[in-house]
Amino acid sequence: MANDTTTVLGRGTRVRGRITGGQDLEIHGHVEGEVSASGEVTIESTGTVSSSIAARTSVVRGAVRGDLTAEDAVHLEDGARVVGDVRAPRIAIAQGALLKGYVQTGDASAQRSGASRPKAAAADPVRTAPVAARPAAARPAPAPPPRKVEKPAARPAPAPAKRPAVVTLSGAKAAPSPVVPALKKGAKGALAKKRG
Amino acid sequence: MAGTVIGAGITIEGEVISDEEVVVQGTIRGKLQAKEGVTVEAGAVVEADIHGGPMVVAGAVTGNIVSSDRVDLQSGARVVGNVKASRITIADGAQFKGNVDMDV
Repeated sequence: MANDTTTVLGRGTRVRGRITGGQDLEIHGHVEGEVSASGEVTIESTGTVSSSIAARTSVVRGAVRGDLTAEDAVHLEDGARVVGDVRAPRIAIAQGALLKGYVQTGDASAQRSGASRPKAAAADPVRTAPVAARPAAARPAPAPPPRKVEKPAARPAPAPAKRPAVVTLSGAKAAPSPVVPALKKGAKGALAKKRG
Repeated sequence: MAGTVIGAGITIEGEVISDEEVVVQGTIRGKLQAKEGVTVEAGAVVEADIHGGPMVVAGAVTGNIVSSDRVDLQSGARVVGNVKASRITIADGAQFKGNVDMDV
């Protein structure tokens, strides 16, 4: 019964909300909401999905703004426009398909552990260089670390050299912190003496 | 073939707005709005207000039904909610609880 009919969202149909189920899904219309199906999800050339898609197999010929995850495979065919990450054991990107995002092929366990690592790694470059696009972050991953090194060096190190006034300020800021523990130590000692 | 078919294994939580015919075999929770006909087939569950053209209901609907044309509640249908349409038929065996509002 589950596979008797394919669910079709026609060209003139717009869905705002979550779509879940165990069937094949054919999207010719617009979906604003999460799509999760245990069958095959096809986004046809007129279809747009502005949220993440999880399926057994995804075939994209239309537009997707969101992450694509599949248990089996993701096919980006001619005319596909995808902005988001793509994760599946097998991924095919055909000529004419446009993709902006992180791509990872491989088995599910590798995906999960792998997924968190590159994301964490990619997160810092994105923060330090917000102008850099998401996909760019994935590619020049080695490039951002030098930036990081430059930036910390640029702030504390040259600052004292250029502006001595800052040194006094920073020194003034730095000074209180040792004083407090020193007081604590003394207080502790005093307490110990009192007790003794 | 109808423009949009929500198959038996599918659940939509949210709004479905369509310019074309909609056939529901699965589940919709939220809102269903179509310019053309709406068919709620046997086994389908719609927990939503339905607006549309001619409607045929054979499944379960909880919510108000407003049609610009006619509403047919077929045998086996289960409707809880108000129905507003210019013409309404209720088949023998259809369960229905709610107000009927026809153009009189």
